[in-house]
Amino acid sequence: MTMPTNTPTESEACTFTEFSDGDPSSEYPKTGSEADGIEAEVWKALYEVEDPEMPVSIVDLGLIYDVDIEDGRCGVAMTLTYTGCPAREMLLNDVKCAAETVPEVDEATVELRYTPAWNVNMVTEDGKDSLRDFGLSV
Amino acid sequence: MSETPRPDTIDRRELSAEQQAAVEELLFRLADDEFVHAERLTEWQIYAPTLESDLAIANIAQDEFGHARLWYDLLKQLGYTEPECIWERDPTEWTHSLLVERPFDAGDWGDAVLRGYLYDVAERIRLEAVADTSYAPLADRVGKALEEEAYHREHATNWLERLTADDDGQARMQDALDDLFPAALSLFDPGPREDDIVAFGFRTESLAAMRTEWLETIGPSLEALGLAVPDPDEVAQSNGRGRYGTHTDAWHDLYDEVTATYREVDFETPVELRATEE
Repeated sequence: MTMPTNTPTESEACTFTEFSDGDPSSEYPKTGSEADGIEAEVWKALYEVEDPEMPVSIVDLGLIYDVDIEDGRCGVAMTLTYTGCPAREMLLNDVKCAAETVPEVDEATVELRYTPAWNVNMVTEDGKDSLRDFGLSV
Repeated sequence: MSETPRPDTIDRRELSAEQQAAVEELLFRLADDEFVHAERLTEWQIYAPTLESDLAIANIAQDEFGHARLWYDLLKQLGYTEPECIWERDPTEWTHSLLVERPFDAGDWGDAVLRGYLYDVAERIRLEAVADTSYAPLADRVGKALEEEAYHREHATNWLERLTADDDGQARMQDALDDLFPAALSLFDPGPREDDIVAFGFRTESLAAMRTEWLETIGPSLEALGLAVPDPDEVAQSNGRGRYGTHTDAWHDLYDEVTATYREVDFETPVELRATEE
């Protein structure tokens, strides 16, 4: 039997990748622009962490959902672009280490959150510029 | 720093012993199915019929591993370790369905496509059935997984159309359907704590309702492709195997393969390359 593997079908699965679904709450992306004190320092440190596949800060990518400081303990909530992200452990560790570079932070913990589900609308304008420079169409 | 949960949701620290046992059964069902399905799909990564399908099947397997990780992570929050969930867990304690553990006959791409279709439709239905779960940590993760599933079903139906495009293909796919259908029904077999899972609101649909929805979804789609869906009341029943930890020999062989590296490496400490657990 010859398998008609290249026969066009009605599916549009391969015509483009749809990243634009979703209507994130107006709270996102969070960039720490209104943070001050130690919290602002943590956001600054998180800006230095880049996505492992693309030269863009994970803050500009919209992955950081919250930063919380209490008595030298820093809690960061973040998400991943997709659930099967193989760089998860690396990113979690990078984020923890970045937060702990702030002298007033004794210990940082990172929590993963999947609501709201990340989508490309959560990338900041600066992030979109970086992605365009990298050659992506966003 | 967490968002305010719905007032009727149950958080991890509020679980009674009975509730915890029920939510664990639900999570292991979800996670084990995803993990074992993904393991089987990876067997195709260098054998699929086109380069595009090699990439697609690898990508789908990666998603399913990602989903397995979502659910195993929730079990870790309840006190399990990754070795306890996977690498050192007795194979007779796994609760995945019989469909996902079945070995592939050499070269039977139709099996991979049809199995993916039957599984992915069931996965959509059961993720929708936990979208309004009372268990807050689970609720956070369902939407993301559901979003990632649409492409899997599109991939499967796209291939189903091609593989049933002529009489020869239809006959092969009919054989695959007759073969897989009884095992696919085991997706909806209850485990010992099924009543509690629904009573506590961890899942908002019964397995019987989900099974009906699945049959009403796959039936017309497959019949439109010229396939005859067996009568579910006339196929051999699985007697609750799979969900109760009784499996075919194929699972025990697969388990030995999947855990071989873990056993050979003989880690003194759990597998954590760079990070500590969340």
